[in-house]
Amino acid sequence: MTAVTISRVERTFGAVHAVAGVSIDIRPGELFTLLGPSGCGKTTLLRMVAGFCDLDQGSIAFGDRRIDTLPPHRRNTGMVFQNYAIFPNLTVAGNVAYGLKARGVAGADIQRRVGRALELVHLDGYGERQPFQLSGGQLQRVALARALVIEPDVLLLDEPLSNLDAQLRLDMRREIRTLQQTLGITAIYVTHDQEEALAISDRIAVMRAGRLEQVGAPAAIYRTPATPFVAEFLGATNLLTGTVEALDGAHLLVAALGRRFRVPAAAVPTGSAVSFSLRPEALIPVEPGHPWATVTGEIAAAEHLGALLRLDVRLGDGPPLRVAMLDDGAVAPAPGRPITLAYDPARITVFAP
Amino acid sequence: MRWAVPSRSAFPLTVAVLAFAFLGLFLAYPLWKVLASSFLDASGMRFTVEAYAKVLSTGYYRSAITNSLLIGALTTAASIAIGLPMAFLLARMAIPGRSVLLALSALPLILPSFIGAYAWVLLFGRAGIVTQWLQGLGLPTTTIYGLPGLVLVFTLHSFPYVLLPAIAAVRAVDASIEEAGQNLGASRWRVFLTVTVPVIMPAVLAGGLLVFIETLENFGVPFVLAEDMPILAIEAYKLFVGEVGANPGMAGALAMILVLIAALALLVQRYYLGRRRFATVARSAPPVLRPGPLGRWLAGGFVWGVVLLAILPFVAIVIVALMKFRGPVMQSEMSLGNFEQLFARSHRPLYNTLGLATVAAIGASLIGIPIAYVLTRYRSTLSHALDVLAMVPFAVAGTVMGIGLILAFNSGWLVLTGGWLILVLAWLVRKLPFSVRSGSAILHQIDPSLEEASINLGRSPSWTFFRLTVPLMLGGIVGGTVLAWVTIVSELSSTVVLYSGPWSTMTVVMFRALEGQGAGAAAAAATVLIVATVVPLALVYRLLRRNNLAVL
Repeated sequence: MTAVTISRVERTFGAVHAVAGVSIDIRPGELFTLLGPSGCGKTTLLRMVAGFCDLDQGSIAFGDRRIDTLPPHRRNTGMVFQNYAIFPNLTVAGNVAYGLKARGVAGADIQRRVGRALELVHLDGYGERQPFQLSGGQLQRVALARALVIEPDVLLLDEPLSNLDAQLRLDMRREIRTLQQTLGITAIYVTHDQEEALAISDRIAVMRAGRLEQVGAPAAIYRTPATPFVAEFLGATNLLTGTVEALDGAHLLVAALGRRFRVPAAAVPTGSAVSFSLRPEALIPVEPGHPWATVTGEIAAAEHLGALLRLDVRLGDGPPLRVAMLDDGAVAPAPGRPITLAYDPARITVFAP
Repeated sequence: MRWAVPSRSAFPLTVAVLAFAFLGLFLAYPLWKVLASSFLDASGMRFTVEAYAKVLSTGYYRSAITNSLLIGALTTAASIAIGLPMAFLLARMAIPGRSVLLALSALPLILPSFIGAYAWVLLFGRAGIVTQWLQGLGLPTTTIYGLPGLVLVFTLHSFPYVLLPAIAAVRAVDASIEEAGQNLGASRWRVFLTVTVPVIMPAVLAGGLLVFIETLENFGVPFVLAEDMPILAIEAYKLFVGEVGANPGMAGALAMILVLIAALALLVQRYYLGRRRFATVARSAPPVLRPGPLGRWLAGGFVWGVVLLAILPFVAIVIVALMKFRGPVMQSEMSLGNFEQLFARSHRPLYNTLGLATVAAIGASLIGIPIAYVLTRYRSTLSHALDVLAMVPFAVAGTVMGIGLILAFNSGWLVLTGGWLILVLAWLVRKLPFSVRSGSAILHQIDPSLEEASINLGRSPSWTFFRLTVPLMLGGIVGGTVLAWVTIVSELSSTVVLYSGPWSTMTVVMFRALEGQGAGAAAAAATVLIVATVVPLALVYRLLRRNNLAVL
């Protein structure tokens, strides 16, 4: 297991700061995800670790060994490419053996290790197939076996699931996670899919315009986003802006959307503007007169998503509030009906102005 | 159902039937006559393998076979050795004048190869300009005749067959494949050898096969350069025309051996490519290499050197044609005398060439494009058979085609020998594979859903083809026709068998000038052919670059 230390790494392409001073400490055996919209610098950062993109500033180390000055073929990373990059001229076994041959591993040893790697990804018996005979999911497994068989210090995954269909994506991500945990290998995972990131990672770094917005465990980032960008990028949210009316003990009273919200106290003077994030699932429909903090409005639109019911609730003014709940049949989602929504102020995140 | 044949397939079926009829009469039947003549005795009645036995037991003809194979193999190897690195450099390196190089690199293929051979003789032959100049300085000279000269001229003529598809293949290699190799611990050089080269190899070998077949069937280059070396294509011609008494049986046997070798080469390549499908689509291009000044000079020098070496002899020949000749001796004075001498007797060969080539080129497109349409849009057993048949002329040397047409249409219900039509037919059939391939390439760029929409909205398949598809293809068709025209103008190997009396062409004039008249007249005839090649190409270059060069 290898720790990866990325310190003050920078890279510009022309006038664009692709990566602008990023430092990350990735712990041994951790699956660390770089998450962000396209163009945020996550792939550039991954390619810097692999050695396909040079650094303008900073350094990258595996353990105590600085690696950013090594050529890519001396770094001992196993990379899974977005389009798999399976060598079309080699069989499945030939693909998996490629890195072992480059390392001068003895023939008998290669055969044994290739066989084991293919077993690991459930492709035993596929060794002599040609790549064009395989499906997308199988190519993905070959790519994974090929990257793992060399026993890399770090496994690098560049949007590995983006070319698969939805069901296969769920299966593969679970499989990748299981493999990574049983082998105890340090992995860096790049994706723009927040659900995938939340499901698979030990820790996530949310990136935006070449910088880190927030680093932390999935649940922590989801529950307490550090910035409005993170709140919006990870899952749906209601990002509201209002005026502080009063301080009431541990809470601020904030006027927004023509209603009064109770949010956790922050160092904001009365009369000034403040923004806060209220997740759709933190709002619960209740009868009027409920003891919690509540807001009232009327249902503007409703969507049934199978297990979930999603409502748009219009308050006093401004855009409607998004509400999501498990559909237990208790709420009749007829547009125009008045509705009372309760919430726990502790689940609201306030952003300093 | 109003028709016995579903209307969906009425149009392709009509095209296929007409194509089979045409190719059956003017390709399969003549080839059958050649085959038959090689297995019949002098009376023409009894089956015998005597002709083959005689050919194979004669040392002279055995060495014709080995010479042709050797020259073909060496030229193919040399073309790959030059074309593959050139393709990599042109695709991946910022070489000075890269766009000019790309434009010039297809030219050697289209310039008439026997004129190239003649240019080398004119410069480095026994009485060559450079040879005499070197001798005047007391320097040693080497011979351009025989094996080294043949391989040199053939290679400089045909390396673009490898270069052009290899450039496309190198460009189609996705960066991530090479990165994956490096990521797994292979050095740049190892990745190049174990990933890049194997991936582009099918394209390179497909090009190499074209080189081999083209070299094998070429008549003009060995005619100029081989001297005493027996060469298959030439020996078949000599036996048929009969300088010492015609022998159609042995000519047929040599011709069939020629066809057999080419067909075997085609089969080997089909088998090899059939097992390898490396269609990669480049999502991201690998980075352009920026080597140091020394690397840049070496790479630029190599690529420019090859291209100039292939083209400059043609420039030299134009210059020689414009010089004044007194007898066989060149003067240091410009003059148009050579052209006056060339056209003194008659302009007829020039008009024959231009007119008949036009008829043949348009004919090849008229027949080839509908075939291409049926092949690409209606896959069936029938269209597959048509595909194979339409590619057969490719494996048939021009000499063999000429011999076959004479054997088939010299007597009987349809007599064509002695007229112009037999020339046009020979050229048309020989260019058909090119027209079909070029047509298919253009069609692959047109989304079939356009045609489906037209048919869905109520237009018949034939209306859709002629009124929707053909207009969409027009640029490509014009380019392909011009390219076919240009190569027909300098066709020699079947023309030399088939021409007669008033229907001689510029290539025949050139051919005869090589045998007899002075260098001046030959150079002038060569210049006319070079101009007829280069000017139309320059006019339609934009069209060609988009559509046709890839299928040369």
